Amino acid sequence: MQSQATATAPAGPPVSTDVVIETRNLSKIYRDFWGRQKVRALKSLDLEIRRGEIFGLLGPNGSGKTTTIKLLLGLLFPSSGQALVFGKDASEVTKNERIGYLPEETYLYRFLNAEETLDFYGRLFDMPAATRRQRAARLIEEVGLGWAKRRQLKEYSKGMARRIGLAQALINDPELIVLDEPTTGLDPIGCREMKDLILNLRAQGKTVLMCSHLLADVQDVCDRIAILHQGELKELGRVDSLLKVRGETAIRAAGLSEAAQREIRDVIARHEGRLLSMDNPTTTLEELFLTIVRDSEARPGRRAVAAVDERS
Amino acid sequence: MDIEKQFPPLGEWLFGGEQGELGALWAWLLGICALLVASLLASWVFGTFLHGPGKAGDKIFKVISGTVSDLLHISPRRVFALARLAVKESIRKQSVVGLAVFVVILLRLAWFVDPGRSDPARVYLDEVLWWTTLLVLALSLLLSAVSLPADIQNKTIFTIVTKPVRSSEIVLGRILGFIMTGTVLLAVMGLMSYVFVVRMLDHTHDLTDGDLSAATATEGTEVGKTGVTQMARGHMHEVRLDDDGNGLTNVAQGHVHQVAAVNAGGGVSYDVGPPEGEWVARVPIYGKLTFRDRGGKPTDIGINVGNEWMYRSYIEGGSKAAATWTFQDLRREDFPRGKLILELNIRVFRTYKGRIDQGIAGRLRLVNPKNPDVYHDLGIFFAKEYVIDRHEIPMEMEHDGKKLDLFRDLAPDGELNIELSCLPAAQYFGMAKPDMYLLKREGPPWVNFAKGYFSIWLRMVLVTTFGVMFSTFLSGPVAALANLAALIGGFFVDMMMRLGTGEEIGGGAFESFIRMVQQAPMQSKLDSTVATNVGLFLDQVARGIFVVVSRLLPDFDALSTSNYVRDGYDIPANLLLIHVMMVLGFMLPALLIAFVLFKVREVAK
Repeated sequence: MQSQATATAPAGPPVSTDVVIETRNLSKIYRDFWGRQKVRALKSLDLEIRRGEIFGLLGPNGSGKTTTIKLLLGLLFPSSGQALVFGKDASEVTKNERIGYLPEETYLYRFLNAEETLDFYGRLFDMPAATRRQRAARLIEEVGLGWAKRRQLKEYSKGMARRIGLAQALINDPELIVLDEPTTGLDPIGCREMKDLILNLRAQGKTVLMCSHLLADVQDVCDRIAILHQGELKELGRVDSLLKVRGETAIRAAGLSEAAQREIRDVIARHEGRLLSMDNPTTTLEELFLTIVRDSEARPGRRAVAAVDERS
Repeated sequence: MDIEKQFPPLGEWLFGGEQGELGALWAWLLGICALLVASLLASWVFGTFLHGPGKAGDKIFKVISGTVSDLLHISPRRVFALARLAVKESIRKQSVVGLAVFVVILLRLAWFVDPGRSDPARVYLDEVLWWTTLLVLALSLLLSAVSLPADIQNKTIFTIVTKPVRSSEIVLGRILGFIMTGTVLLAVMGLMSYVFVVRMLDHTHDLTDGDLSAATATEGTEVGKTGVTQMARGHMHEVRLDDDGNGLTNVAQGHVHQVAAVNAGGGVSYDVGPPEGEWVARVPIYGKLTFRDRGGKPTDIGINVGNEWMYRSYIEGGSKAAATWTFQDLRREDFPRGKLILELNIRVFRTYKGRIDQGIAGRLRLVNPKNPDVYHDLGIFFAKEYVIDRHEIPMEMEHDGKKLDLFRDLAPDGELNIELSCLPAAQYFGMAKPDMYLLKREGPPWVNFAKGYFSIWLRMVLVTTFGVMFSTFLSGPVAALANLAALIGGFFVDMMMRLGTGEEIGGGAFESFIRMVQQAPMQSKLDSTVATNVGLFLDQVARGIFVVVSRLLPDFDALSTSNYVRDGYDIPANLLLIHVMMVLGFMLPALLIAFVLFKVREVAK
């Protein structure tokens, strides 16, 4: 996670028509000990996720995002319908050889250190010792934990634990990566690095399924999204087309004089358009924060706000 | 030593004997089939209730085929990875504290057990074996039962089951890991115990010229020296030395010492050797026990002198009653020391006190089974309770002026009868089959000690397997309780079976309660009232439950061999093999149940 790529990355390689995940009429009802219905967590979900795309599951708490992911991973069994991953039933163990999963929280063994953790998960993939060692060393460096690889996970901060959690999800070089709230617990830099990594995974041709309530994160990286509410699919489609505001036109330019701006207003009026706003754009708080941090690192001792002023 | 359960040879035990009794293997297969059919039927009924008959059948088929596939694709690397994790988890959970507790227990034994007791070896061995069993089983019980539920609760299991790991591998990995931990703990405890017992038993006595005086033979000539050693470990020995100053002490606390004179600096000092015979592993040859009643007629059992425990039968003194042990397949070459050692550990039942410090007189007779007229009396001996009488039978003996060769005249086909009778009238001898045996040899005590620890290990394996099995479908505390119940129940399997089959005098719990309320004796028939009939009916139901439960639980009591080690008898390899089979017999279905239950469990629920 040392990449310094910025903002929304350009589109990755073309999405394949291969279907990696498919759900058919997938439903889940939670029942109590006596078999009585407690919650209908998911209602007849039909979904297809194709190879090479980043797919986001969006929705408020209790909307069925995590239930969907757990059904796809075989952690839960469907009440009705079917969940297929790589064409196999989700309860089929062999599908897991091609999957990496980062849970919502870092559910790892706290008495192991980073190296032991990755070695352990590598063994679960039946990897030979040499491959395990090599991949573990590479991933530990990639997630920036080389300096803490011998420390037990119980000594890790939340962000560090997320990083080692991500490393364990990638230990098998998976084709499908399932990320449950991937940016939870990460600082803005960590968030950005996580997003860059997700985009990088797509660039390598991998499929990413993520769920999050952080809409900006989803917007930044996802190709397609599904919005769930109370267990039902409410919207499904490409992010860019879903977010496109029809009937409005945005112009963005730099170096225009007052006169030029007046002229543009006139042109809009002449064509019977209605000017909604013409102003200096604002950056995002994330962008501002990252700029300050980078500037502070580049010029230690100076008040970083100046850098922002200069920029503005 | 009281061995109520005598086991036949492994083959006979597994496949059945000549009398047509069902072999353990066939009984096990029948039980497994019954269990399989019952669980399939129950699953289908339950599944039909939830999903309808067709879908229920389909789900059951999927579970069965999935389980078979899982079993066929078990990866040793994954299993060992999970086992290593379980070991690390055990260490993290401070299971080594068990060792510290054990050290404290050994210190307590060293400080507070009186070394002057009549049989210190028995006391020390009993204590170390008991505490080791308790600690290892308790640790295994807890570790195995709480680990998987803790993983499910902490959700760390999510990162395991989303890898290509099968439920069978998770279950096996846990069991293997906890067995590895338990094995290390047991090995360390065993080593500590062995060193402790050896050091506690090891001693010598001081013996100087001042402790000795000249011994005189019957004709008045001086033959060597006699005296008493100095006190050590709460006892002293009488000693008799030959003219060279060498000799042997008498038996005290179950052991003797060799004494050797050492000439040094113009004087003589005496070197008393280490204790011998204190900690032994006798390898006995058992015979078949039959009886003759007071009229001399053959009978299968003797008299019951009123004991509820019917393990031993009694013969009446001053009558023709006798107990005969028939030994078979005796060979001269099995007794290279030129004599047979016969040991006898019988009970004495007195109807009058007599001289309490003196034993009750009995007679041992060697008889040719084919020709009872050829016999030889070993002479009169005096039997005391809880004392092992040791007799040496020479290969050649004289009877009525005729020389008899043991193997030629008394045991021509390797078959020898040894008859025991009680001499005083109105006194009784009680015996069971293992109470008389010929000593084949004495094995190394440390090997027997290791065998005793192997028996503890077997029980630890079983407790661990049951703990993990319960933890696949119960929460941690409930699984631990269930495991504890299985363990305790396992120690009372015999009693449950007796209750189930109605052998227990006084009936079941309800009948006993009614008898207590009505103050009715155990042997009397109860009046037929509504309350009595309801109670008896409930006892009938309970009996069925007892029979089923006693069949489902392993007999932990029968798996113990501590009494062999403690009492100084070699644990037969045949017995250990039977125990291994018994453990496997319970482990395999427990593993299968664990695989299936964990496979059908939604870990994220």
